[in-house]
Amino acid sequence: MDKGAIVTGGSRGIGAAIVAALDNAGYRVLTCGRGARPADLPASVHWMSADVSKPADAAALVDYASAELGPLSLLVNNAGVQVEKTIGESTDADWDLVVDINCRGVFNMSRAVLHVMQDHGGSIVNIGSISGNVADPSMALYNASKAFVHGLTRSIAVDHGPQVRCNAISPGWIMTEMATDGFALANDPERAMRDAIARHPVGRMGKPEDIANAVLWLASDQSHYVNGACITVDGGMTAASPLNPGLF
Amino acid sequence: MTKLAGKIALVTGGRGGIGRAIVKRFLAEGAHVYAADLTQQGSLAEHDADGSQFIKLDVTSETDAIAAMERVRADHGRLDILVNAAGIEIEKTIEDTTLDEWNTSFAVNVTGTFLTSKYALPLMRAAAAGGTSSSIINFGSYDGFIADPGLAAYCATKGAVHALTRAMACDHGPEGIRVNAICPGYVDTPMLQSFFTGEGSGGDGKSIDDLQQVVKDVHPMRTYGTPDDIANLVHWLASDEARYASGQLWVLDGGLSAQVQQMKL
Repeated sequence: MDKGAIVTGGSRGIGAAIVAALDNAGYRVLTCGRGARPADLPASVHWMSADVSKPADAAALVDYASAELGPLSLLVNNAGVQVEKTIGESTDADWDLVVDINCRGVFNMSRAVLHVMQDHGGSIVNIGSISGNVADPSMALYNASKAFVHGLTRSIAVDHGPQVRCNAISPGWIMTEMATDGFALANDPERAMRDAIARHPVGRMGKPEDIANAVLWLASDQSHYVNGACITVDGGMTAASPLNPGLF
Repeated sequence: MTKLAGKIALVTGGRGGIGRAIVKRFLAEGAHVYAADLTQQGSLAEHDADGSQFIKLDVTSETDAIAAMERVRADHGRLDILVNAAGIEIEKTIEDTTLDEWNTSFAVNVTGTFLTSKYALPLMRAAAAGGTSSSIINFGSYDGFIADPGLAAYCATKGAVHALTRAMACDHGPEGIRVNAICPGYVDTPMLQSFFTGEGSGGDGKSIDDLQQVVKDVHPMRTYGTPDDIANLVHWLASDEARYASGQLWVLDGGLSAQVQQMKL
């Protein structure tokens, strides 16, 4: 395979799992983050310190990938931040942080990559969230930013087919370091985890690899007729009423 | 309160928890109301006192549907408002649901909506010919969007009502007939109390009061709804103020389905 891929925010969590999966599948991968190259990044993976909220950084990522990786056929817009506040508590700086990275970052990267992909075709996969469809409490700006991602996904799909397909994945609860920390802070972490699992019809919490698997499929020709879709990967949690298990 | 002055309305399940509240509200707004149900549920005098007309109607019976609409035709020659509120709930997974229970659920919740609407349509067309639209209001449920555990047949029937609502709105909008569905969440009715009673006796030591509080606390509004809350929206959809509202599924659940499930962290 001689396919180039950019994954934003690949230093940890879901992004790192996507990078590893694409690397294993033979993609030539460039990933980025605002910090330095992570020590555990596979040697075959290219790294650039970049901030996707800056248009110049987005252009530099695409230029580098085009020069070093061969035909760029996949962009995974994974980089994202969350601020755990209601709008009443949110500051202007919170807005700038969340909207710059979660919204403007997806815009910057998609715009930059479309110049290349429109010539030879490709696929864009955005990481949205179930929180873009239903609200997590005290996550107002994050929830709204993910609804933006879902909307932009549809617009890219409509405007830039047939050369480019664009889809989004809406993860549910994925046990990244961030989520593990949240459970550790619970009054009774074991009980909290039991309750959380009971809310998932598949009987377990999500893993970063679950999202990486969905990215691989959306990047492949197996999904050639899937365009403009927001695919929920949440173990069935949002198919059930919020009043679900454990209550009765 | 005369938002429905002069309107002729028929409410199926009109003696049930939510149906009764709708009948009362329609009467208060000046409508002439037929309360259609299996039984009077009480003395004739008691219900005549509220001014509604009782029609015995088994919504699963085509003969009953025809007879009910014949009576409305004889009395008024038209029907402005039809509310398909009759419904039942089987509290089981599909594995535990018998074929009879499945068929009964669909007969009441889906076939009932179909039959009553089918035979009401000529009368509703006649009403719309007067220049203002007539209005059909079906009963869906938030369970038609997301599942409560152990309510499989009920969830499926309500999903069917949602699709039927959109189909009817498309087919009969050009004739001046609006069709919408109300999708209630938890509403304090005999059906809900029966649900609590059934679940509360399931064992794990929770009292029915505990269960009710737990359920209330999951709602962003921290309570469940009353039949009057539902009647507030139904009477608006029935009124001429809603003349541009059609084909929609109106969720009324205190914000329950707007949120992600709340982990107990």
